[in-house]
Amino acid sequence: MYRYDEFDRDFVTGRVDQFRDQVARRLTGELAEDAFKPLRLMNGVYLQLHAYMLRVAIPYGTLSSRQMRRLAYIARVYDKGYGHFTTRQNIQFNWPALIDTPRILEELAQVEMHAIQTSGNCIRNVTADHFAGAAADEVADPRPYAEILRQWSSLHPEFSFLPRKFKIAVTGAERDRAAIQVHDIGLHLKRGQDGSLGFAVHVGGGQGRTPMVAKKIRDFLPEQHLLSYVTAIMRVYNLHGRRDNKYKARIKILVHETGADELARQVEAEWEALRDGELRLPASDIEAIRTYFAPPALPDRAEGWAVLAVQKRDDPAFAAWVNRNVTPHRHPDYACVTISLKPIGGIPGDATDDQMEAVADIAERLAFDEIRVTHEQNLVLPHVALADLKAVYDALVPHDLATANAGLVTDIIACPGLDYCALANARSIPVAQQLSQRFADAARQEEIGELKIKISGCINACGHHHVGHIGILGVEKKGEELYQITLGGSGDETTSIGEIIGPGFGPDTIVDAVETLVDAYLSLRLSRDETFLAAVRRLGLAPFRAALYESAKEAA
Amino acid sequence: MSLFAAAEPRLWRENGFVDDDPWMIVEEAQGALPEHAVLPLAGLLARISAGEALPQRLGVRLVADDDVSALAPHLGVVSLVALTFRAFNDGRAFSQASLLRERHGYGGDIRAIGDVLIDQVALMLRCGVTSVLVSHPPTIRRLAEGRIGGIDQRYQPSAAPDAAHGSYSWRRRAVA
Repeated sequence: MYRYDEFDRDFVTGRVDQFRDQVARRLTGELAEDAFKPLRLMNGVYLQLHAYMLRVAIPYGTLSSRQMRRLAYIARVYDKGYGHFTTRQNIQFNWPALIDTPRILEELAQVEMHAIQTSGNCIRNVTADHFAGAAADEVADPRPYAEILRQWSSLHPEFSFLPRKFKIAVTGAERDRAAIQVHDIGLHLKRGQDGSLGFAVHVGGGQGRTPMVAKKIRDFLPEQHLLSYVTAIMRVYNLHGRRDNKYKARIKILVHETGADELARQVEAEWEALRDGELRLPASDIEAIRTYFAPPALPDRAEGWAVLAVQKRDDPAFAAWVNRNVTPHRHPDYACVTISLKPIGGIPGDATDDQMEAVADIAERLAFDEIRVTHEQNLVLPHVALADLKAVYDALVPHDLATANAGLVTDIIACPGLDYCALANARSIPVAQQLSQRFADAARQEEIGELKIKISGCINACGHHHVGHIGILGVEKKGEELYQITLGGSGDETTSIGEIIGPGFGPDTIVDAVETLVDAYLSLRLSRDETFLAAVRRLGLAPFRAALYESAKEAA
Repeated sequence: MSLFAAAEPRLWRENGFVDDDPWMIVEEAQGALPEHAVLPLAGLLARISAGEALPQRLGVRLVADDDVSALAPHLGVVSLVALTFRAFNDGRAFSQASLLRERHGYGGDIRAIGDVLIDQVALMLRCGVTSVLVSHPPTIRRLAEGRIGGIDQRYQPSAAPDAAHGSYSWRRRAVA
């Protein structure tokens, strides 16, 4: 993985010094809140309902054990013993004191971490496929490009005061695990006809109150043009994106109002002037970064096949976990392990300091010292030998980290909601917890199969409800919490925005409503091979609507 | 709002404050212009298309909505371009400055006017700004103390030539 050198260290240290000075000036009143706000936001410091919140960047979701231990330490010393992994592959600490934040940033800097550009109207943490560098189906590792974008975008002098936040995601496989089509820029790394690497460029996707699927404005951009092309997009957006209304300020609105063809024309015109300048990346530049992402040496461990078969036979719980949370690796003797942060009844994405320490130990001992954070708020060990899966599992179990539910109905994404967030209209966490308990039975979950429930506590859609197979949006109506349900959303290579099924449900009936939809699916599907999403796409909303509202009418 | 009342504006360049700056921001007016007048873009374009005689030393003032490419053909007649930093969170002038330098090869003075605060000065300089008009007292004080802020390390190339820092961090490493 990427290792900081002297330059990165000096940069992050310089940034901490700069922020300490800014906090000091804010505390004396020399710096007014309106000028301090964009500065603290660019250092990850938010003001939430009850306290400041610090969001720490985990570039493309990749962590070492040492870094994970430091996060555990910060959770223990500066917070209440836990952290919250987010849908941007970051971690949030909910209870730091403002005056401690420079010290926390210093602690992070010692392990090559920071909170730069985790919020504010700038280019945010670049995300990537959480199986990058390990997945059996990828064309190439997308992380070197994510790292190039990270460096290029760090404190960019021209693009630090954009109309609104800006999110870039990169994937290296046809199977899109990075939700690139709901990003401001989504980059799909692929091979051209001559075998060279390049990107399909999608622009203007996003969720929030106006969800939109990104438009593909270029089918193949040769890799050497990555930065010149992204700069062209940024410049068009910085100059022409709306600044009169923060809800219309994302690039998706510019794409929508300008038209994708016209926007593409403007970008291409800007790019023509930039493409052969200093922003062009020669192969040597890309190679220099790629060397940091050289995969660990993975010795053949063919004994794992037989060992695993026996272990699965002897331990059905282990077998269930392997079937659910273990996915193919490009090396046949290895696998990628998903560590669920969704225990039954738990808070999605939360991890205690002890859990973080446990994962760090396991990664160090059995998984080449590498950990990933997924945008679905789980953790991943990308390189585990089949022969070591049982040892990993046994080490996870005592820490409540071995829930076998990856991709199932209890693997719920939820934003912090009204329990923490100053923007929220409704609680998300209790809904997630109740749903998780309702569907706790493992056999029933397996029977239901792949089903992604995503919950947002307000229209800003941090819980990605628009792309949930079942999306739940909490709103406030006449002082009460009300939950709207959408069906048919998806954040993969077949991205779609969910459709509202009908009138919303109160906190007491939302869980029943979801269960009704799930039962309707089970009775409507052609076979177990037809997933919930496939069934909704085949049938439309009508039969689900009938199940949901007609049964309610009968009951009433 | 700032707790500090605005002071008399002062002009600062990278080598310090300048007390005898001749430039005058003027609103559009009829008749002959004095030397060192800084006109709004529309006024400049109108005078050029009317074929009026222009002073030897002329400046132009852009607001954030102005299109730099409209000015580009006439950069030869101006010695100063003032860019309006309308508000702390409005970053358009950073792109305008970058375009003037990189795209249009403008070599004259680029002046930041408007809401100029210390925390953006380093970024302005990197985008090609060469002078800033400041009225925020703490910013004036910091500039006087030579504490410009910003960070010495730069990850990416920018409009202002920067021999000391080169372009990308990874290229420097490859050379080192």
